[in-house]
Amino acid sequence: MWPRFRGVAASPVGPNDSPPAMQHTMKRLLHVGFLGLLAALALASSGCKSRPKNITAIPGSEGRGGTSTDLTQGNPLPPTVGGGNTGGSSTVLPPPQGTRYNPNQGGTGIDLPPVTNPGPGPDAVGNTALPGGNIRDGMREDTEMFRGNTVYFDYDKSAVKKSEVAKLAAVAEYLKANPSSKLEVAGHCDERGTEGYNLALGERRALSIRESLLNMGVSSANVTTVSFGEARPVDPAQNDAAYAKNRRGEFILLTPIGSNPVQ
Amino acid sequence: MIRFTNRRRGFMAALAAVVLTCHGWAQEGTIEIIDKVAGLIPISISGYTGEVDQTLKFDLEVAGFSLVSDDKARFTLAGKNGTQVEGTLQDSSRRSILARAYPGGTPRLQAHTLADDVVQAVTGRPGIARTKLAFKHETGQRNRNNEMISEIFVADYDGANAFQLTQDGTIARSPAWQPGHRTLFYTSFRPGRPCIYSHDLASGARSPISNFNGMNDGAAISPDGTKVAMVLSKGGSPDIWVGNVDGSGLRQLTSTREAESSPCWSPDGRTLCFSSSEGGGTRLQLVDVNGGAMRPLSIGGLRGATEPDWSPDGKWIAFTRMGGAKNFELYRVAAKGGVAERIGDGEDPSWAPNSRTLAVIRRQGNVRKLSLLDAFTRGTKDVATISGSCGQPSWAK
Repeated sequence: MWPRFRGVAASPVGPNDSPPAMQHTMKRLLHVGFLGLLAALALASSGCKSRPKNITAIPGSEGRGGTSTDLTQGNPLPPTVGGGNTGGSSTVLPPPQGTRYNPNQGGTGIDLPPVTNPGPGPDAVGNTALPGGNIRDGMREDTEMFRGNTVYFDYDKSAVKKSEVAKLAAVAEYLKANPSSKLEVAGHCDERGTEGYNLALGERRALSIRESLLNMGVSSANVTTVSFGEARPVDPAQNDAAYAKNRRGEFILLTPIGSNPVQ
Repeated sequence: MIRFTNRRRGFMAALAAVVLTCHGWAQEGTIEIIDKVAGLIPISISGYTGEVDQTLKFDLEVAGFSLVSDDKARFTLAGKNGTQVEGTLQDSSRRSILARAYPGGTPRLQAHTLADDVVQAVTGRPGIARTKLAFKHETGQRNRNNEMISEIFVADYDGANAFQLTQDGTIARSPAWQPGHRTLFYTSFRPGRPCIYSHDLASGARSPISNFNGMNDGAAISPDGTKVAMVLSKGGSPDIWVGNVDGSGLRQLTSTREAESSPCWSPDGRTLCFSSSEGGGTRLQLVDVNGGAMRPLSIGGLRGATEPDWSPDGKWIAFTRMGGAKNFELYRVAAKGGVAERIGDGEDPSWAPNSRTLAVIRRQGNVRKLSLLDAFTRGTKDVATISGSCGQPSWAK
C-alpha cells in the first residue's frame, strides 16, 4: 500500500543536525499510527523555534547569501588587544663614527661598532622575543633598499646558508649605522609542502634571518618578522627554478617619517 | 570566480500547506541501522528532476550511498518535486521506512532536508546536508604588493549559496568557526601585517584579537566557544598560545626553537593537538590546555604529519602527511594514538559534525579544489559549484 505523506516543513536555516522536529517526527512515526493535523503543526512549529545547543546557526536562507557582509573597511584598527607585549626599550643608538655603508655592497670583516642596547636576550630555549607594540607606527616602508639582499633558502630548510651571510652582514651594518631604523623580515616558501606547514616554515625562515642579524649586533628591539607562506611567489611557475626563487627572505626597511638616514 | 548559485529565500512560507496523517507502517526496531559501514550503500533514486535531483544525489553520494538501478538497490527513494519535494524510502523488501513531504524553503533546501532524513533513517545518525563551510578562496589576482589576493568565503557544504565574507584585497586565510556562534575567526593582512579577527556574520562587525609583531595565525576556537588557540611568534618562535576569544588572558603553551602550527581542540576542551617541527621532521603533538610539557601523538612511525583536526565525537584525529614535495596524503588515527589509517589524498582536513565526512583540498595542476571525503567508504566528491582555488576549509559546528 502506498503510504500517505506526513508533511514536515523544510527547515530554512542551516543547523547542522536534523532539527528536533524531524527526529521527533521520526519517533512518532514509529510509535503512533495516526496523528491529527493540529498535533503535527504544533510539533513542526515548535521544533523550528527551538535551537539545538552548540549548533552554529547560519544566516543563509534569509537572503543574505551572495551579498557581502559589511566590513569595517577603511576604519583605523583599534590598538592591539590583549597586551602582553614585552620587548626592548627603544633607546636610540648614536650613529657610529666614520662608518659609511653601502648596504648592497655586502662583505664581511668590518669592525662592528659597540652595541650599547642589544635589546632583550634569548630565553631559556634560545628564542629572542619580538619587539612589542606596532613596529610600523610612525615609520615609512621601503621595500627597495635591500632588494638586492634577498636571502634564498634550500628546500624545506630555514637555516641561513653560508652563501647568504654576506647579504645579511650588509643589512646588519646599515641598521647599526641607522639605529632609529627598524626592519621587518618577510619569510616566503615555494608551494611544496602543505599550507599550514608553509606558514610556519616561512616564519621560521624570517626568524632565522633575524637571529643572524641579532648575532651581528643588531638590537632585537628593531627587528620583527612576518610569514607569507606560499602566498607571494616571485614566480608562480611549477618548476625547480621558480621554487628556488620563491624560497626566500626579504627585507622591509622601516625609517622614521621625516628622518634622513646615514648612507 | 565563484559562481553564485544564490537566490533570495523566504522563510518557510508554506507551513500551512502541510498534508498530514501518518501511517503505522513501521514498528520500532525494524529500521536497519547501518553504522560505520565500510562499503557503499546501494540506493536507487527516481522521480526527481533538475536541481532537486542533483542535490539529492550529491548529498547521498557524499553520505556513503552509491546510486544504482532498482534491482541492485538495498534502498529505493522515490518521489517527486514541484511545489514541494516528496519522498518515500523503502528497503529491499519494499517496506517503507520514510514517507514525507517538504514544503517551504527552496527546492534545494527541501532536497537537503529529505537527504538528511534518509541518512538519519538508514544510518541512525544526523545528516550534514544543511551545514556550512568557510574556506579561503583565490582568484589568481594579485594586489599592488604582488600578493595573491585571497578572501574568506562561506557556503553551503556543497558549495551552493557562496558569499564572500572579506573584501580586504590582500591575504586573508585560516578561517575557523566559533562553535555555537555565527562568528568566524581568520587572519587578514588588512593592517599591512597579519592580524587575527573575530567576525560576527550577523552584524558584519569584526574586531582584531591578535596583531602582535610576527606571526598571528591558525586561530582555533574551543568547543565551548570561549577560548582561542593561536600560533604567535612574538616570543621569538612560532608557538601555541591560548587566550580568551577576545584575545585577552594569553598564555604560552609551547616554547620550542622550532615551529608549531595548526592547533585543534579535543571535544572536551582539555587538550590541544598541533604539528611541531621540534626534533626534526614534523610530528603531531599534544598539550594540556592548562599547561605542561607537550607529548607526541603516536601515529605508527609516519613522518611529515601536519594539519591535525580532531573529530567532534573525540575518536579520531585526521591529518595531512607530506609524503613528498607535492604528494599529500590524508590519514586518520585514533585520538589516543596508534597506527594511522590512510583515507585518501589531499590536505588540510576539517571534520564535519558527523565525525565521518571531511572537507579537504586537492591540488589539480595550478588549481586547488574543495572536496568532500567520506572517511568510511573513502569516496571523494569535488564541490563543483566553486571554481578558482580554495584552501583551508573549516566546517561549521
